[in-house]
Amino acid sequence: MIDNFSLGLTHGLMLLAVWYLLKRPDLDREAGPRDDAAKPAKRQKWGRRDA
Amino acid sequence: MRDLVFVAFLGLFFAAGFRRPFVFVLAYVYIDIVSPQRLTYYLLNAVPISAMAVALAIGAWAAVDDKSDTRMAPRQGLLAILLLYCWYTTINADFPVDALSKWEWVWKALAFAIFLPLTLRTKLRIEALLLFMILSAASIIIVGGIKTLGSGGGYGQLNLMVDNNSGLYEGSTISMVAIAIIPIILWFTRFGTIFVPDWRVKAFGFALIFACLLIPIGTSTRTGLLCIGLLAILLLRDTKRRILYLSLMAAIGIAAVPFLPSAFTERMGTIKTYQADASASTRLAVWQWTIDYVKDHPLGGGFEAYRQNKIRYDKVRLEGAPDNAVVDTQLEVDSGRAYHSAYFEMLGEQGYFGLALWLVIQVAGLFRMEVLRRRYAKEAGEFAWVAPLAAALQNAHFVYLLGAAFIAIAFQPFVYMLIGAQIGLDTYVARRRSETVWTGFGKRRSGTAPAPA
Repeated sequence: MIDNFSLGLTHGLMLLAVWYLLKRPDLDREAGPRDDAAKPAKRQKWGRRDA
Repeated sequence: MRDLVFVAFLGLFFAAGFRRPFVFVLAYVYIDIVSPQRLTYYLLNAVPISAMAVALAIGAWAAVDDKSDTRMAPRQGLLAILLLYCWYTTINADFPVDALSKWEWVWKALAFAIFLPLTLRTKLRIEALLLFMILSAASIIIVGGIKTLGSGGGYGQLNLMVDNNSGLYEGSTISMVAIAIIPIILWFTRFGTIFVPDWRVKAFGFALIFACLLIPIGTSTRTGLLCIGLLAILLLRDTKRRILYLSLMAAIGIAAVPFLPSAFTERMGTIKTYQADASASTRLAVWQWTIDYVKDHPLGGGFEAYRQNKIRYDKVRLEGAPDNAVVDTQLEVDSGRAYHSAYFEMLGEQGYFGLALWLVIQVAGLFRMEVLRRRYAKEAGEFAWVAPLAAALQNAHFVYLLGAAFIAIAFQPFVYMLIGAQIGLDTYVARRRSETVWTGFGKRRSGTAPAPA
């Protein structure tokens, strides 16, 4: 009973944490100080849809 | 029933790994700490889930993870040297078969500690690793805490779900780990971002800390009590209102005494009369044997070298009133006694060089965390979390090094994950620092002359 309560609580929290992690882009890549400058250049290259 | 729930849980865990490969690392951490295959009766026992998780973690890292900004810390090199050296002592061990069985899990712990920092590229990954270490340990600690409240426990009596007394399910080890993670739990109640610190996170965190404090009581381990004492002193450094903290600690300590189970108070009383206690006397005798042993075998005897020891020691007991006591000395003979200390474990098994290397790895961890604590102490913005995390990891490491004096846990995998997290934090902030410095030059160049680097 106690075992299952503890396992259920911690494993539930771990699943919830994994769920939150899946929605976080900064898990794999953080915006560095140089990234802001690099992004617009990329867009210009491919053009915009409404252009 | 429990088996099916575990299978479903692991299934979801692994499935998430295919979306975000770092989750495989977390899955391995979870499996290594909780050992779900030992909590179930069928299904999981048949599948090598630990090997699968580690293969997927390394495979995913090698295949898809960004490695452009990978940094190696000197401590990873030291761990690699230790790994090679342990392999050398294993093939030359006094007990080759027994040594090999310990080598089988030691090399994994060391290799994972070398690999782990390579994956810790973002702040969120460091946080996720620590969160899963804590929640995994919590699955054992909450059981122990509730059972201690219910029954009071006792040395070797607290049922922690698994009978075989290995890994974190061993009483002394879990009481050391439970105290060591308290500073990290406190960090999560302030700086967590996966579970944003609201009242629920704080309530869970403090309840978990309470359960952690109950573990040394439930397992009646003297080491755990010493660890609590050390942690109370260490936390003093980060406390702003020290007088309030000290009086609060004293009040809690005094208030807790009447509630402590008698099994615990009796055993703690033996800290002072250690000479009458076989467990403590054998330790001193084994340590003496180890010091003598390495004089003849400076490279150590390989894993499990203690099996050859034969020790004789006097058990001293005082009988009668304190001022008129009769000293009763009893000669005890024993053989094959374990080290009961990580320091002597390293000395006896890996010799002077192994112990020295191990100590350098430990002390370097304390030192690097001290550097980060000081460097980021005044940080208020984006890096405000760094100094408190470095402090928490350093305090956890101090608690481990005290516990290690009385438990043979030189290669405890949980601790090597902690060391991996330290290295990960260190390389992460070094990388971020270099990026910030780069933009700093750019800005300065357009304005005033650059300051000397």
